Amino acid sequence: MRIFWVLFKKELRAFFVSPVAYIVLALVMVLSGFSFRAALSVLESAPSEGSIVTWTFHAMWFWLSYFFIFPLLTMRLFAEEKKMGTLETLFTAPVHAWQVVWSKYLAAVFVYCVLWIPSYLNFRFVDWITVGQVEVPAGALKGSYLILLAMGLFNLAIGCFASSLTSNQIIAAVISFTISLLHFLAGLFIMVVGRRVSETFVDIINYFASMEHIRIFTSGLIDTRPLVYYTSFALLFIALTHQVVEFRRWRP
Amino acid sequence: MIEVQDLTKQYAGRTAVDHISFKVEPGEIVGFLGPNGAGKSTTMRMLSGYMPPSSGRASVNGHDVFQASMEVRRSVGYMPEMAPLYTDMRVKEYLRFRAELKGLSGKTLRQRVGDVMDQCAITDVRRRLIGNLSKGYRQRVALADALVHQPPLLILDEPTNGLDPVQIRHVRELLKNLGPKHTILLSTHILQEVEAICDRVIMIHQGKIRAMDTPDNLTRKLRAASIVQLELQGKGDFVTLLEALPGVRKATEEGGQDGWILFSLRVEARHDAREAIMDLCLREKWKIRELHWQLPSLEDVFVELATTESAKA
Repeated sequence: MRIFWVLFKKELRAFFVSPVAYIVLALVMVLSGFSFRAALSVLESAPSEGSIVTWTFHAMWFWLSYFFIFPLLTMRLFAEEKKMGTLETLFTAPVHAWQVVWSKYLAAVFVYCVLWIPSYLNFRFVDWITVGQVEVPAGALKGSYLILLAMGLFNLAIGCFASSLTSNQIIAAVISFTISLLHFLAGLFIMVVGRRVSETFVDIINYFASMEHIRIFTSGLIDTRPLVYYTSFALLFIALTHQVVEFRRWRP
Repeated sequence: MIEVQDLTKQYAGRTAVDHISFKVEPGEIVGFLGPNGAGKSTTMRMLSGYMPPSSGRASVNGHDVFQASMEVRRSVGYMPEMAPLYTDMRVKEYLRFRAELKGLSGKTLRQRVGDVMDQCAITDVRRRLIGNLSKGYRQRVALADALVHQPPLLILDEPTNGLDPVQIRHVRELLKNLGPKHTILLSTHILQEVEAICDRVIMIHQGKIRAMDTPDNLTRKLRAASIVQLELQGKGDFVTLLEALPGVRKATEEGGQDGWILFSLRVEARHDAREAIMDLCLREKWKIRELHWQLPSLEDVFVELATTESAKA
């Protein structure tokens, strides 16, 4: 466990000493600012059944930031060490592969959580500035951040896996972006095809659909199925990453 | 300290290390000598637990490199070729990180990090970013990393690569003075390095061990032959006449230009045949435009060694 913390600290340090974390943070701040504004203008024009939280996480801007975050945070993790050859120094020290994989993954998760702090401050801010005139439902807020965390765990695990496959950061970024995007589009597919397919099929696809999850959680409903879905897939991808990293030690 | 038996590594359809066996006793400094691509790095990577052997076995300090990888890694200080480092870290910070990974903490950690920085003469750059350091400094940071947990065995892959002559001498002194507490296996393609610090040399070429001996015995063998380059013009049976000279083992024609013919002569040890060649040319009225005595390159030596060894076998 001590080794894990040493590695975790080093990974976090790598995020915050290099410009990576700050650039992504700036990007997310700008985009969450836009999505917040978009939500405000929806509420401004007409009475609406959704709260400000719902509309913020339905804005196009939110989804734009959503896709860029994961590749940017994870592409470096293994690919850079492979390219620089530092994987060799790392794995000739007495460390286990799981310690390396989890420290990298959880450091990325930590940075990911930090990224959403400004958007949360936006909600606090609107509450303060309008003296509670605009309703910011606490349940919806909790639900939103819970599902964001679950989606983060899932997509960051994909990114981690992509990074372990190659020594080229660009390739890692493209792989993780593609998988995340395909997963998202599978959900969007239903909205396009509409009701022309059978109801069971719609239900099955909706089970995977990120937009559907966001819709449920931002209205304040906490459904355990997506949570289980995202975390179990995250575990699967982390296990795969572990296999890829550990493979080196077994290749005859 | 190290026991290697029939160690083999296949790599991308190629046999990088081919059934090698050797032993290193505690306290020895053993040099791994060979041209680039001979299989030195691959062997060292297997010994340090980074990659598994394809077949055969190797043990370090009584632990099998594959089955007891953790114990092996704890007792080995490994410095990879090219000294890969985290370029965004500062020197002291990096060494602290590595020391923590290797299980040091608290006062011992501070003490050891300070000590190795002094030993490797990098204390003056301890606050600099590794990415901004010159090759020589990086190399010594990597060496400090290998030393920091006081491992009984040091495996150093080309530790003096990229250093200037003063630094090379410094590193050699450092390794020599580490004393009997440490066993050292280092690789190099520089002959003098082996002569300067090693108790024993293992010569490896194309994945096979070609010779294993003390440096003295080996250099005697190596210097067994040297080459004289000769470019001349004239008439006569050059090869027969040249080979008739005392000390000349073999003369080969290596092409020519504008009527000049280039020969390379294999000459016996400590037999400078140049004067005899000069006399011969004067006698035969040949014109000379080049006469040059050269020690054989390591590559030549290996080829020679390989052929003589296989002839013996």
